[in-house]
Amino acid sequence: MSTPPPSTPTGYLVRQIALKSNGEEIVRASQVAGDELTIGRDSSCAIHLPDLAVDPLHARIRKIDDGHLMIESIGEQPFDVNGRSVNRRELSITAGAELGFGGHRIKLDRDAETGLPAFTVRRVEAVSDSAEDKDAGTVYTLKGLLPGKRMSAWTFAILVLVAFLALPIWSYATYQPLALHKDARRPAGFHADQTWSSGHLSLAHKNLNNNCQACHTKAFVAVRDNACLSCHTQDAHQHIADGGRLLRARGNPEGFAAFQRAVATMFNRPAGRCVDCHTEHEGAGAMPATQQQFCTTCHDGLKSRLPDTRIADAADFGTAHPEFRPTIIVDPTGEKPLLQRVAWSEGLRENDGLKFTHAAHLSKVNGIAQMVHRRADMYGGRSSLECKDCHQVDPSGTWYEPVKMEKSCQTCHSLTFDQVGGTFRTLRHGEPAMVVADLRAYYRSAGPVRPANLSGLARRVPGDAALQSTAADYARAVRFYPTRADQAVAQVFSKGGMCYDCHTVIPGGAASTGGFTVQKVAQNNRYYHTGWFNHKDHTKTDCAFCHAKAETSNDASDLMIPGMNGKGGCRSCHVGESGTHLASVSVKDPVDSGCAMCHSYHMDSGAPWQPKDKRNAAVHRADADRPRLPGEAALR
Amino acid sequence: MASIAHGPDQGDQETAATTENSTTTRSPKPPRRGKVRRDRVSTHEGFLTHKNGRWMKISALLAAGLIALYIFVPLPGQHFGSSWLGYTLGTVGALLILWLTMLGMRKRAITPGRWSLKAWTSAHVYLGLTLIVVGTLHSGFNFAWNVHTLAWALMMVVIISGIFGIWVYATLPQALSANRYDEDGAITEKQMIESLRSLDRQIHDAAQPLDPQSAALVEQSLDEDPFAGNFINRITGRYPRCATRHAAGELRKARAYRPRVADDPVDKIDALLTRKEAMLGRMRRHLKLKSWLQAWLYVHVPVTFALIAALSAHIVSVFFYW
Repeated sequence: MSTPPPSTPTGYLVRQIALKSNGEEIVRASQVAGDELTIGRDSSCAIHLPDLAVDPLHARIRKIDDGHLMIESIGEQPFDVNGRSVNRRELSITAGAELGFGGHRIKLDRDAETGLPAFTVRRVEAVSDSAEDKDAGTVYTLKGLLPGKRMSAWTFAILVLVAFLALPIWSYATYQPLALHKDARRPAGFHADQTWSSGHLSLAHKNLNNNCQACHTKAFVAVRDNACLSCHTQDAHQHIADGGRLLRARGNPEGFAAFQRAVATMFNRPAGRCVDCHTEHEGAGAMPATQQQFCTTCHDGLKSRLPDTRIADAADFGTAHPEFRPTIIVDPTGEKPLLQRVAWSEGLRENDGLKFTHAAHLSKVNGIAQMVHRRADMYGGRSSLECKDCHQVDPSGTWYEPVKMEKSCQTCHSLTFDQVGGTFRTLRHGEPAMVVADLRAYYRSAGPVRPANLSGLARRVPGDAALQSTAADYARAVRFYPTRADQAVAQVFSKGGMCYDCHTVIPGGAASTGGFTVQKVAQNNRYYHTGWFNHKDHTKTDCAFCHAKAETSNDASDLMIPGMNGKGGCRSCHVGESGTHLASVSVKDPVDSGCAMCHSYHMDSGAPWQPKDKRNAAVHRADADRPRLPGEAALR
Repeated sequence: MASIAHGPDQGDQETAATTENSTTTRSPKPPRRGKVRRDRVSTHEGFLTHKNGRWMKISALLAAGLIALYIFVPLPGQHFGSSWLGYTLGTVGALLILWLTMLGMRKRAITPGRWSLKAWTSAHVYLGLTLIVVGTLHSGFNFAWNVHTLAWALMMVVIISGIFGIWVYATLPQALSANRYDEDGAITEKQMIESLRSLDRQIHDAAQPLDPQSAALVEQSLDEDPFAGNFINRITGRYPRCATRHAAGELRKARAYRPRVADDPVDKIDALLTRKEAMLGRMRRHLKLKSWLQAWLYVHVPVTFALIAALSAHIVSVFFYW
């Protein structure tokens, strides 16, 4: 390269720097004559920049003096000088400058050898974006476009642990002292441990939905009875007070059940807790109906496990229920009638102190039927009496009212003894002393009416025959008229008398009752006290279907109450929970009957508890993880 | 069932297992020399059909057995998590979840032998499907807004995303292969970017004579990152603001009003941009298919860990409020 004379340096030096593939630089230098120089994409430019961001003729450089150059844009397109975007700028050669055009950088300085202003041109940006380095391992993946898997895994996991583990434990810890206090409640609103609830509490425990600690008093300790008893101070089981006895009645589990019991005990879930049977978190409905199995777990073969029990073994109603034991009146005469529970049998008799002929009263052909038929005003032209003519249901419809003489008997069995004008005088029912008094008063003031023809003034038929006959009649009437009231009293209380027809009258008694005693009468309105029976549920059945003896019995002491077996017995329709019945019984319209249909765990005078919504009976089942007993298989 | 040729991550390999000639075909003729057949017979056996579907049978049997237990074993109460069957199902389910998660560790340890990765994957898929039965029976179909149902729901999300993953693994690799083939044979991912670079260089050179406005348009195309675009662009394959298409369109529009000249540089650029568009289109289809193949794992894996967290909370809560 020839060196120009140093005294008059004219022109410019242009150094184009290119990169070899190995990164080495190649410098191609050229000298440009003249004072002016153009920069542009056009190949005619002294500084040719093959760069699409550069105008074909982008800028011009003029020499001002030895030390200074003027650079200005040709087409009003700016360029960079020392990092600032400008259209014209004076440049000092001594101080140097850095010019930027598109992807090119041009360095200005004075060439040491020649003293000429030198432009060093270097491409700093790739021709295209694609030419830049691309990490082949990641550009074809979703990296950078989605949150990283590791990152989101940690985020999700920590969020879940905070929301569903840490916060619930915190809310447990902050309200713990409230446990075991009957009326303690957490403030309304959300508590994080509610997210742990596995289901709604039943209706009865609805107000505890917010108070996990009310039952879950200690962490990692299964719910104990003391939690239940803090509220249920009065109404916890009357069925059996001794929990240990209850467990013994269930018997020791065998086989798999024993294994389950062992595992439960190992995990600190002792058997025999309230919650063993009274499970919760099974939906917001009412308490579920009781299944037969709930009872038979203990009561099936109870005697073998609890030899001292007085309760007979009971299992399925259709096949394995002990004979009913109705409570009957054995002696009605005392201050209160004497009652006794007796096993039901076909010929069982009850002494209620009355005489009554059910069959005769219900007959369609005898005199009673005739009388009913004639008194259409009263009986509507029926051909015979019906049960309801005497027996009236009580307001609840469950039982029958005691039969009242005044209402049911007196229309036929009148106690009338005298007529004054149009008014009939009757004896007072139930008050023998008053009866006696009324009769005595009557006889004090009356005798037989004297026939008119016995007086001398009367017109007579010739001859004495008629007169004699009348006189004889009158004399007989006078002779036999009970002028002594005692006689009338005795008649009423003796065979053929008004009282004697229905009541048991025995000689001996106070003078005020004429020396007679009318035996007390007792009516039994509930025979079965440990089982529940409701007449209302049986209105579609004819009375005589169950009370079968009513049509044949003419003795009031025949017990009309049906038993379990026999004609009209409960098993005529009611079969076991799963439809089982004895081979000897033929059932036409079977009614599946679990224990809870008639029996209640908490015994009182009311009906056994049943869910109001019958659908619940099918959906919910009361018992939970109670051990299964080997004997149960036989029941299925 | 379609055999799965190979994992999508092996996209750069030139093996193309086909479904036309399945693994059972025994070709009597040896392939002729000197000519590369594209339809090669593959001895590949996918993880779905591994050992004649051994794990499918085992899992189906297990599921059927559990359903039978659920239906026929008389439980004293409701079918609830707290019955003995419930606890058993829960324990089995929890252990199964942990074991299924271990596929992530197993696949990073390359070991030959009895428990090959393929066998493991096969078991992972089928036992994972069985988990639907185990988990749902464990719940006794009692669902509510609580941590227990959360764990079940997360489990279902993981399983369903896994099923989706199997579906894309079974269907998309063929499309991926087809997209990579043209008259010159298959193109690799590396070749895709190289060919773009080459086109860009040519466009750059050809655009030198252009006026500033046209040059600016071409520059936009060159400056565009071929891998640009968000997740939605990737998964749909739609890039409405593609600078190359814009440049090509604008240049054509401008040229339409200009007199024809013999050696118009715009003609050359137009041809080059058209080729670049085609190349970009193919690459974006490739990216779309690969995104579908990968995206399900961005649900499957993180939700698995959320599930394990929810499962832990579920187990602790059960024993906490025992």
